[in-house]
Amino acid sequence: MDAPAESVESNWGEQAAEEELIALDGRVINLWRIHQLIGSAVFLGILFVIGSFVSLSVDGAFIWVAGGWVFFAVYKLISALVYPPLAWKHFGYRVTDQVLEIRSGVFWKLCQQVPLSRLQHVDLQRGPIERSFGLATLTIFTAGTQQATLTIPGLEAEYASEFRDQLVAIGGDDGV
Amino acid sequence: MESEEPIKPKATPPPLPAVPSLPPVIDEADDSTQGSTEPLYEQELTLPVDRLHPVTLVIAFWNAIRGFLIPILIIFVLNRSREGGSGIVFFLMFFFVMTLLQQVVRYFTFTFWMEGGELVTKQGLLARQERNIPLGRVQDIRLEQGIVHRLFGVADLHVETAGGAGVEASFSVLKLEDANLLREAVFDAVAKAKRAEKGITEEEAAEEEVEEETIEIRRLSTVELIQAGLTSNQTASTMALVVAALAFLDDFIPTDFFRRIESEFKNNVDRIVNAGSSVDWWNLAAMGGGVILIGLVISVVGALILFHGFVLGRKGEDLQRSYGLFTRRSSSLPRRRIQVLRADETVLRRIFGLVTLRADTAGGNPMDQQAQNEGRNVLLPVLPKREMESVLPEFFPDIMRGAPEWCRVSRRAIRRGTVKGSWILVLASVALYFLKGGIESLWPLLLLPLVYVINVLNYRHFGYVLGDRYLRTRRGWLGRTTHVIPIRNIQSVAVVRTPFDRFHNLATLVVDTAGQAFTGGGPRIGNLPTEEAEMLANELTQKAAQMRYRWN
Repeated sequence: MDAPAESVESNWGEQAAEEELIALDGRVINLWRIHQLIGSAVFLGILFVIGSFVSLSVDGAFIWVAGGWVFFAVYKLISALVYPPLAWKHFGYRVTDQVLEIRSGVFWKLCQQVPLSRLQHVDLQRGPIERSFGLATLTIFTAGTQQATLTIPGLEAEYASEFRDQLVAIGGDDGV
Repeated sequence: MESEEPIKPKATPPPLPAVPSLPPVIDEADDSTQGSTEPLYEQELTLPVDRLHPVTLVIAFWNAIRGFLIPILIIFVLNRSREGGSGIVFFLMFFFVMTLLQQVVRYFTFTFWMEGGELVTKQGLLARQERNIPLGRVQDIRLEQGIVHRLFGVADLHVETAGGAGVEASFSVLKLEDANLLREAVFDAVAKAKRAEKGITEEEAAEEEVEEETIEIRRLSTVELIQAGLTSNQTASTMALVVAALAFLDDFIPTDFFRRIESEFKNNVDRIVNAGSSVDWWNLAAMGGGVILIGLVISVVGALILFHGFVLGRKGEDLQRSYGLFTRRSSSLPRRRIQVLRADETVLRRIFGLVTLRADTAGGNPMDQQAQNEGRNVLLPVLPKREMESVLPEFFPDIMRGAPEWCRVSRRAIRRGTVKGSWILVLASVALYFLKGGIESLWPLLLLPLVYVINVLNYRHFGYVLGDRYLRTRRGWLGRTTHVIPIRNIQSVAVVRTPFDRFHNLATLVVDTAGQAFTGGGPRIGNLPTEEAEMLANELTQKAAQMRYRWN
């Protein structure tokens, strides 16, 4: 019953070789690190306040609370150092035959494919930290429901706006 | 297990991807849109009416009374004996008059017309509200007649559009003939614009008109509606399932086993509920049976009232439905606006060989609770399964005829599902052992063969077919769900791989479509070999890229 899969495999091998995935701008790794560190700092700050209350009101809780907090802090720090390069390594995109493909995910793999004629609109976003890195994020919208938005972060700003124009030029052929 | 290479980084900044030149868009329905500079819609289209019917006032009055009568009566009765209750009555009367006044203002100020390819409505005395509805975006026009409406020969008309959340404009009320004329005028204008787009002259169109008669696809008989009601009941379905399961197990398990469980169960219930005294089991059973019976009667009567005289027909491209015993409802939707078609067979329906068809357009609103009460969430409430293949071409004219050849997913699905189920059973056994102790508490492990059998059945009954223009999937061995998705309406496709998927080298394919109010959107195909999933995704998106998606 798995017969069709066999012919598929050989087919797929050839196809993959045709177009290679494009990686994100390397600067995005540090951008992600900063984002993660800011997020962790807020999280740890909240934990600190809660932890202080708990250790003040419960006898003997200090060791556990402090230990847990330090453990979280170290974990967050390590993950902020280690995870972004991995995420960058596993993120890629390409345009093949009118189809935009985005691959992401270190452990949970996701491969999204959108026919460019289904693009509704494309957003270009630049946060303050992103701007200081000279990077931009593209968000692509379809008329779909569960997977209606796709994002490509960490594009060089000028390249991002060029890429957007190009996507719209290919995709915008349908009037709606 | 992990065979895949991480994505290789490229030199930064990356080069712009090569943009392939545009292949011609394949679209049989309409092509050669370019180059026509003429306006597609005539500047001025005349409608049969331009304002609401005077009965609007009567119905407004009726609705206001219906809404306020009961509160007023309650307060009146409660306050009869006391002094000073009239304040609340006046308060209510004030709101009653305000509501009425609002409706009167609406009646006198509400006008509408068609202009430059748009349906325009205007209302309001102080704050003027004007709404323009592009005709091309109209998804569905519904007529609704309550009992009072039928008495006066009038109807509510609701216009739904793509992108809008549900109803875009309501015309309440119009004379029935006028409502029908308005509906036809809108669809005619759209059709005319389409013809102008394609360069077909009106004479040629008039010749084609001969086949534009309404074809009756399916009419539901009272017997079928009773069947629908009988099988729509969830409680009854569950009971049927339990009885079937017991009958099945009966052959394998010694009767002694049941008796022991029964007595143990009884003792426990007696201890908890009655503190020792015995429960009258016959009474309890009779009560349960009664509840189920009442439930069945309610579902049957509900189905008969809601769907009485159900007719599904097709006029040219438009699917038309009308139904209802007291409130008559009719709606029409162009068949190529169907984004997803889903056929549902609950366990009970499967036994009787019946299916329910649901369809989504891009205009539906998933939060619309009323849709179910009004029967709008189903395209065809009940249909014998054997007729499904012959009915499908009415919705999708270019679908492949004949029974589809289902492709199965990877056989690894069986092993994976069994292992997953086994873990749950093992954990349950361990938990029981620690809680109660004793070797009997390991009984969940006896279910292991059952888990295997269920997974084999699941695997055998899951299938997909990738055709030229349609993707079909089916799943389930007790209840069954079948999806039909026109590839031209696919918005995006995703291949998802969890760490478990990757361990087994499998993947899940998720198909995303625009509408998912009544069907829950496109299907998920799990347990595909990774290569097959990626190949399918490529093929689907590349096919979709060659076809034009249209809102209208």
